[in-house]
Amino acid sequence: MVTTVARWALPRSLEHRRDLLRELVVRDMKLRYKRSYLGIAWTLVNPLAQLLVYSFVFRVLFRVTTPNYTPYIFIGITCWGWFQAAVLESTMAILANRDLIRQPGFPAALLPNVTVGTQLVHFLLTLPVLFGLVLVSGIPITRAVVWLPFIILVQYVLTLSFSLLAACVHVNFRDTQYLLGVFLMLAFFLTPILYDTSIVPERYRALYQLNPMAYLIDAYRAVLIRGVRPHLAALAVVGVVGVVQLRLFYLLFRRASTSFVEEF
Amino acid sequence: MAGTIVVEGVSKRFRHWEPNRAMTLQELVLRGFRWRRRDYFWALADVSFQVTPGRMVGIMGFNGAGKSTLLRLVAGVGRPTTGRVKLHGRVGAILELGVGFNPELTGRENIFISGVCSGLTRREVSERFDSIVAFSELAEFLDYPLRTYSTGMHVRLAFAVASHIEPEVLLIDEVLAVGDLAFQKKCWDRMLSFKRNGCTGLLVSHAPQAVLALCDDAIWLDHGRVVAYGPAEQVVGQYVEATGTLPKPPVGESVGSGDGRSDESGARSPEVRAVVPGAGGGRS
Repeated sequence: MVTTVARWALPRSLEHRRDLLRELVVRDMKLRYKRSYLGIAWTLVNPLAQLLVYSFVFRVLFRVTTPNYTPYIFIGITCWGWFQAAVLESTMAILANRDLIRQPGFPAALLPNVTVGTQLVHFLLTLPVLFGLVLVSGIPITRAVVWLPFIILVQYVLTLSFSLLAACVHVNFRDTQYLLGVFLMLAFFLTPILYDTSIVPERYRALYQLNPMAYLIDAYRAVLIRGVRPHLAALAVVGVVGVVQLRLFYLLFRRASTSFVEEF
Repeated sequence: MAGTIVVEGVSKRFRHWEPNRAMTLQELVLRGFRWRRRDYFWALADVSFQVTPGRMVGIMGFNGAGKSTLLRLVAGVGRPTTGRVKLHGRVGAILELGVGFNPELTGRENIFISGVCSGLTRREVSERFDSIVAFSELAEFLDYPLRTYSTGMHVRLAFAVASHIEPEVLLIDEVLAVGDLAFQKKCWDRMLSFKRNGCTGLLVSHAPQAVLALCDDAIWLDHGRVVAYGPAEQVVGQYVEATGTLPKPPVGESVGSGDGRSDESGARSPEVRAVVPGAGGGRS
């Protein structure tokens, strides 16, 4: 009897984690646009509206001449959009799920995963539009596109690490949400989303090289616009940073999680 | 072996909920960085007992005695301040009803979410789905959103899911009294069948009848301490006698006492709010 339990314990628990993640992501997706007229289309409205305004401001008003500027900034907007929404919403991942946290054996660290996963789904839904924009601009899609899943994976790990941190810090320190809101808004302009790192003056370049999102956005652009292999060394460094942070913030999260049930 | 519960010298200290505790930076600055006042109380003090496999143990006590805190620690929700809890076997805990329920989703969707959140895999929920629906008697409302359900229907669905976890160790926090009399009888039969199947259990209840009918042994907790632990009839007898002599209003003395409570969100027992300072404050 006991040995049977032991033999089946691991696969079953893995299966359960997968099902939990799936059920909760699906629940989030269903709830988000429940009873709204546009429904899932809202996923596209937000980045497209941003694209429209930024294109107008920079192409018409500032006369930016960067070729393929529209798909160029759309990559930045959607990639950053995934990161920003996931990290920001993770602050509520624990507080919005009190009943689950109080459930015996519930893996609390799964909740930030649910947020990042939900936002990943949104990101994936904008990909067809992105490909459409690329094709309309007359850019051929090359074999380099096979790197796309890998870039997405690296971004997932990086985003999840920040989300874990945001989720557990916010439980005790409710300013996190607002601080993050301000921080992410400023970071949006300091990350090469609406421009290219190449226009950054030499003396600020080093600062830009500290921003992991800059490498990720550049990797997407390499693959989709320049049609070449992304800078693999840079991507690997971001991946390693992501994994190390993930480990670190997970340990922090686990320490904090023992008191979650008492904090609200 | 599976189904053993060992509680060794468990104490639990809670911080008193301070209504003015700084939760934001602004408040913190305004109070000159006094982070929080240290103010504690002990919800449980040096509680030890063992439950051998297949035995059901009732936990009784007045409001605020630490019953729900004890049950939660046994379930592994939160950690004891001192001492330790050892538990073997798959835990099925009914500490709250309707875990993961969402009013906007349909009954069907909620069964899956709640089932998976309670520890079943999706496949296991699928296998039990028909049985859950039959138990809830809500077949014709399955595709309506949960918000259209009456309180009674809501609780029936929640209990139907909770009672299909098929645990080796069952932890129940006074949620037996749900629905009308016929449904209560069903819940009751379900509990008895768990017991017949050799399930170990801890049952928090105010109702002496419930403890007598379902439990072999009983623990009487008072102010976080074990007053008595022994055969159910004996401990229940002492408890009822003490209730009669103490100037305390008899809270939830009948099996039907849960009815009024089920309107509250999550059907959490009232004593949880008294014991866990944070629980009440979080709602404000």
